[in-house]
Amino acid sequence: MGAIASDTESAPRYGHHRFLLCFPTFPGRLSSEPWEVHRLVTLIIMKGQGFKIFLIAFFVVLSGWYLYPTVRSYFINQRLNSLEGEARVEYERENFQTIQKVNQEAIKLGLDLQGGMQVSLELRVDALIRELATDPDQTFEEVLAAAHEEARLGNQSIVDAFVAEFERRDPNVRLSRYFRNEARGITRRSSNSDVQAYLRAEADEAVNRAIEIIRQRVDRFGVTEPSIQKQGTRRVVVELPGVDDAERVRRLLRGTARLEFHLMADPGELQRSLQRIVEHYQTAEADTTARGAAAQDLATADTSAAAPGDTAFNVGDIVSGGVEQQASTGNPLLDVLQPVGQGVQFGFVAERDTAAANQLLSAPEVQAMLPTGVTLMYTSSPVATMEDGTELYALLGVRKEVELTGDVITDARVEFSQTNQPEVSMTMNAEGASDWARITGANVNRPIAIVLDNLVYSYPTVINRIPNGRSSITGLESQQEAQDVVTILKSGALPAPMEIVEEQIVGPSLGQAAVRAGVICLIVGFFTVALLMVLYYRTAGLVANLALFTTIFLIFGVLAAFNATLTLPGIAGIVLTMGMAVDANVLIYERVREELATGKSMKAAIDAGYSKAFSAIFDGNITTFFVGVILYSFGVGPIQGFAVTLMAGILVSMFCALVLSRLVFDYMVAERRMAVNFG
Amino acid sequence: MRLFEHTNFDFVGNRHKAYILSAVLMIASLISLVVRGVEVGIDFQGGMSFVIETDQPIPVGDVRSELADQIGIESEVKTYGQDAILIRTAAEGDITEVQEQILQTIQTAFPDSNPTVAGTDIVGPRFAEDLERGAVYSVIGSLLVIFVYILIRFEWRFGFASVAALFHDVLITLGLFSMFYGIMPFSLQIDQTIIAAFLTLIGYGINDTVVIFDRIREYMNMLKTEPFPIMVNRAINSTLSRTIVTGGTTLLSVIVLFIFGGEVLRGFAFALAVGIVVGTYSSVFVAPPILIELREREAKRAVTSRR
Repeated sequence: MGAIASDTESAPRYGHHRFLLCFPTFPGRLSSEPWEVHRLVTLIIMKGQGFKIFLIAFFVVLSGWYLYPTVRSYFINQRLNSLEGEARVEYERENFQTIQKVNQEAIKLGLDLQGGMQVSLELRVDALIRELATDPDQTFEEVLAAAHEEARLGNQSIVDAFVAEFERRDPNVRLSRYFRNEARGITRRSSNSDVQAYLRAEADEAVNRAIEIIRQRVDRFGVTEPSIQKQGTRRVVVELPGVDDAERVRRLLRGTARLEFHLMADPGELQRSLQRIVEHYQTAEADTTARGAAAQDLATADTSAAAPGDTAFNVGDIVSGGVEQQASTGNPLLDVLQPVGQGVQFGFVAERDTAAANQLLSAPEVQAMLPTGVTLMYTSSPVATMEDGTELYALLGVRKEVELTGDVITDARVEFSQTNQPEVSMTMNAEGASDWARITGANVNRPIAIVLDNLVYSYPTVINRIPNGRSSITGLESQQEAQDVVTILKSGALPAPMEIVEEQIVGPSLGQAAVRAGVICLIVGFFTVALLMVLYYRTAGLVANLALFTTIFLIFGVLAAFNATLTLPGIAGIVLTMGMAVDANVLIYERVREELATGKSMKAAIDAGYSKAFSAIFDGNITTFFVGVILYSFGVGPIQGFAVTLMAGILVSMFCALVLSRLVFDYMVAERRMAVNFG
Repeated sequence: MRLFEHTNFDFVGNRHKAYILSAVLMIASLISLVVRGVEVGIDFQGGMSFVIETDQPIPVGDVRSELADQIGIESEVKTYGQDAILIRTAAEGDITEVQEQILQTIQTAFPDSNPTVAGTDIVGPRFAEDLERGAVYSVIGSLLVIFVYILIRFEWRFGFASVAALFHDVLITLGLFSMFYGIMPFSLQIDQTIIAAFLTLIGYGINDTVVIFDRIREYMNMLKTEPFPIMVNRAINSTLSRTIVTGGTTLLSVIVLFIFGGEVLRGFAFALAVGIVVGTYSSVFVAPPILIELREREAKRAVTSRR
């Protein structure tokens, strides 16, 4: 600092009488009298201030350059909002490129200000591991489940937990047995650490592939300026401004798009299983109640359905209890499932009861009662509606074996059936077509289930062998759904299911309220701080306010330059920065006052004030800046926005206090020979 | 205007009173944290929150009991600005379903309210754990980085004193969050924004302390003959005006946030306001005295070892 402020000697010394400088005279003189400007320029060059002036001008112009699109975008959007109907469309078309460019370069508003939807998805690595394995056995499944649990609780990645758990159970285990993949260099002799590295690489790659696929899906969804970012190693954050059709987005993002063709259960066998399972729950219920309350006879037990007893039963009761109006049948399964016993249909389940039904039917002893190789799957859309408007879904018996997968699909598009129902018609490649011909040929007069992400979309009965590889998905609810299915099919299957781990929707009304609050805070905050500074430090306070104003302008410039997103906490950060930004000036001014009190000249006091305050300003700000860095690296979304404005505010306010206000003082004192009022 | 110029308060002489005040506040905070705990938001706990706008104000207590009775959802319901309520619940399940149930319940209980969902926030349990871990790391990380920096720029006693003061600030602010949640008319839930506020007040507190330490450092080089406590007292007095002015402007801007920032920023602004007051207090009454105690202990040890 001392090196720059080198003109102490040449400045005339002022006595203790300081005259007050009035604000209006200063800028007036500066701008209206050309010779003054000339003298200023000479002074700068002569006194080595050129670099400072250049720096300030450079940053201000740069900020202006970066902020220009934001301002333009504001006016264009104003214009757009004032136009209506055709005029608006016309204007949009004419200025399409400008609008796009300007919007892209403008400071982006976070979802909390703009309204929209944010979804964080996480790749199910456990599912991926299972997918990669050949012939996974019972141990494999157990280890995988344990690893999943461990990864959930601890800090370990699931791949590491998986390998560790396997080795814990059997130190001599050879994981290459499950994961042989010659193409990727995993042979029978590969070590466990090779396998571990391979799995890790696969998981990394799967996330990247998933991002690509999600990007394609989102692009087709037609959102303006979506943002898709990888977070950490396994997560993807998708931001969709202006979207609030949450359910559709969830379906679109989460769908693995696993299209499969399955054969279905033999009707006779399925019906016998159904009977046995219903009977099983009949007795199970009676048993538990009898055990729980030995004195009660069976008749009372049947009516006291709400009595605590069997856990499975309780789960069903809790889930359906609040809304369930119909009288209990005494059989927990029949409470949630209406048995059908016709063809491949197992039973009907109301949407709200699906969780309870799944709970009951997933019990191992119940699974064992199903025909071998058969599993139960829901239909994608309701098959019937009850009188009270409850929609019923059918549970179907489907053979587990996958006959054909979606890999063979080369094209898909929306079509309409004769009855004007939307359907997705698909074309297969040659290999798929020949398989399809074989499968349909061998199963004439039998149903084939078309399954997408574990839901049966349709199960048409084969009438003839289909030679040309044509198939279609029917049973879609709307054209929109058909379109989404096409989108999912075309963008390809996700390597593993994605789970939604966090989701946030901000409605437009909340966003507007937040913007209003932010703007009010900025304005009121600025004037409050500015007023206080002028009251306390008089002329010097005005200089501090000039620095403060420039600080805010530069902060916005930094945000625009770094393409940062402005969030409500971000605005809060700026308002807070206003309060703290004056700190550097306060430190300097207090020093200057102290120095003046010792009888130093104005010039000398300012010099001393600046150089002595520097270490405190620097140390204090650097530590706060570190805190900002930490906040940025650990925070997510809006908090990062706050951290960015905090960091930008610290750097910019230091610059403004040390360089800009210093320059103004030097000009006032050294050149204009004024005494500045420090209050 | 000049306030606090040429003051000569005996901060150091009265430091034992400050010790008592700080001790009382810290113990009260600890007790409250153990007994009452803090209200943890869904960010760190997992769960769902819904902002529901209605045509007319509806009593939040009734909404709560209706939700509990009708659909068995334990929730926390608060007013949210005008004609809107915030429902938070730890319930798990299908988002769409829960949302639908809540809307229906409100519609049935208050037929004229016409509820619409204005915003939702869902945090899965695993995501919440990660956020929690991140929050803990960032607070610890900040304290560590500050300690190391002060260590490099000053000496270890300064680093220890400043981190101790920061710890004091964070503990008391957290304690106030614990004592007052449920009592204040606004949410005092600990969520991500509050953690950001805590880190900011750590930043603010260290800034405040460093300014005083800087002056102590300066006097240590300038006035070598003076006893250390007197030097410290001088340093505090000569920076007092700055401490008050900066504290004032920052507090003002935080109050602006509190009043005009809307529901989202209210808890955040409250944390900062409390933190600024406590932080300013501790940079005068806690950090420098700790420095003195450390020096004196050292001096005594030096005396005993010389014997």
